[in-house]
Amino acid sequence: MKLADFQSLFQQRVLAGSGEADKPLLKKLRPSPRGATPETLLDVYQTGYRIRLADFVSQDHPGLRAILGDETFDGLVDDYIDQCPSRDPNARWFTTGLPDFMRENARWRDDGAAVSMALFERAMVDAFDSADETPVTVQALAGFAPDDWARLAFEFDPSLTLLELVAGTIEAYSAAISEEAPAKVDKPAAGDHIEYAAVWRVDHESAYRQLEPDEYVALSEARAGHAFGDICQMTAFQQAGEIAPERLAQSLSSWFEDGMIIGVRVRGDDQSSNTPSSA
Amino acid sequence: MEKPAPLGYGLGLRPIYYEEILSSRPPIDWFEIISENYMLAGGRPLAMLERIRADYPVVMHGVSMSLASTDPLNFDYLRQLKALAERVQPAWVSDHIAWTGVHGVTLHDLLPIPYTRESLAHVVERIQRVQDFLKRRLVVENASTYVSFVDSEMSEHEFVREMAERADCLLLLDVNNVFVSSFNHGFDPVAFIDGVPADRVVQFHMAGHTNNETHRVDTHDQPVCDEVWALYEHARRRCGDVSAMIERDDNYPPLAELLDELQNMRDIDARISKEQALSAA
Repeated sequence: MKLADFQSLFQQRVLAGSGEADKPLLKKLRPSPRGATPETLLDVYQTGYRIRLADFVSQDHPGLRAILGDETFDGLVDDYIDQCPSRDPNARWFTTGLPDFMRENARWRDDGAAVSMALFERAMVDAFDSADETPVTVQALAGFAPDDWARLAFEFDPSLTLLELVAGTIEAYSAAISEEAPAKVDKPAAGDHIEYAAVWRVDHESAYRQLEPDEYVALSEARAGHAFGDICQMTAFQQAGEIAPERLAQSLSSWFEDGMIIGVRVRGDDQSSNTPSSA
Repeated sequence: MEKPAPLGYGLGLRPIYYEEILSSRPPIDWFEIISENYMLAGGRPLAMLERIRADYPVVMHGVSMSLASTDPLNFDYLRQLKALAERVQPAWVSDHIAWTGVHGVTLHDLLPIPYTRESLAHVVERIQRVQDFLKRRLVVENASTYVSFVDSEMSEHEFVREMAERADCLLLLDVNNVFVSSFNHGFDPVAFIDGVPADRVVQFHMAGHTNNETHRVDTHDQPVCDEVWALYEHARRRCGDVSAMIERDDNYPPLAELLDELQNMRDIDARISKEQALSAA
């Protein structure tokens, strides 16, 4: 048997388990001198494969396990392993497709709370090893003339992800990873209620924070490169009344404090935007 | 045979030990990293590695090169590996005589091959291409296996010897893997060690495994067992001064227990050196 044919057979056995298709492979195995059956020995590879991949998913998704419970979570992982074999040499990337798999799979796509948790946890994992940048402090603003402040635009840490989640996702995740984590965490009710979150990395650890709706909009616009003054002019903030500019300033301050901002620049006239994307 | 200088007694660098290593600077001569765990854009793993490699020599050990796969070599992977090597400046780069998948799938395991002339030519050619691409000699390790094949035309150690000489690569002798495979397939582990070209061996791996009575599995989650320590002594006598290390990948003990295993290596080596000095006198 050619090496390529042998490898196809062997891989099929690992992916699909024992069955009729194994017969050509079984003929190629030498008997074990210790009396182990061929099935037992091939199962070392098959179970090892599944345990390894399941372990990757478990490590990255403690919140998802907590809200689904062990049995349902294990069922999800089995489905994912069966339908989405790993294709990247680096095991780090195996779990990254889980939320997309859930959204596209009939068994899982209607479980909005579970999909929401999977998206949140993927952002946490992605933040952990995204590219390194150095945050700047609010002192960076001191270098700009007050006349320029309305045209200031900000560059954000590449780890920053903004998420629209099922309400209760963040609370459930916090409960799942707390030191006194209960065996099961109540799954958020997947209705029309949503919450907003920022996920990023600070001091080598992934961080997260729930955002008020107006801060989510402001942060989304700021990350899209819009100038601070343009964001203040947005309809959403104009309608919020006189406190809006003050709240925006507080938000900006917290983005600095949180280590989300890595650069400040004055946006040139040629780049100015009077129509931010979600105004 | 020109070989990198021996590094002494090392340990597989694992995240659970980062803080203790940095705070206590334990008596470990060098560290081996799992290359794939650092093939990342940034973050804590690379930051920890930068700090540790400032004080310790580092070697890179991969698990995904898939040297025996009949899929094309993955040059995206090799480019990332090469970039990491340029950043880390390891004493050497190693991977396994194994395949990890075909048809674009990766099983994240070190899978066995029949030891045929076809497999040999295939693996030799791929090692040579990898060495050309990385512009460095590759260090290649014997893997643990649980099945063997009627199509094999030579023993594993004959395969290893022929491979190393034809590809002009260096060898990582995993003493635990020799023991596990010898148990599973019924060959003599001493004959294996005597059969590989000692002048090409630059590194020993030592690890624990799981004994399932009818077969043993290379789990790296136990202390090194007595039989493997005995085999280590034989390998040391045959191969001389070779960088040696402990691999631990699960059921992590306090770091002190792994330091004890390193001390055991030192004690065995000191005893051998003393015996050799006495017999030479």
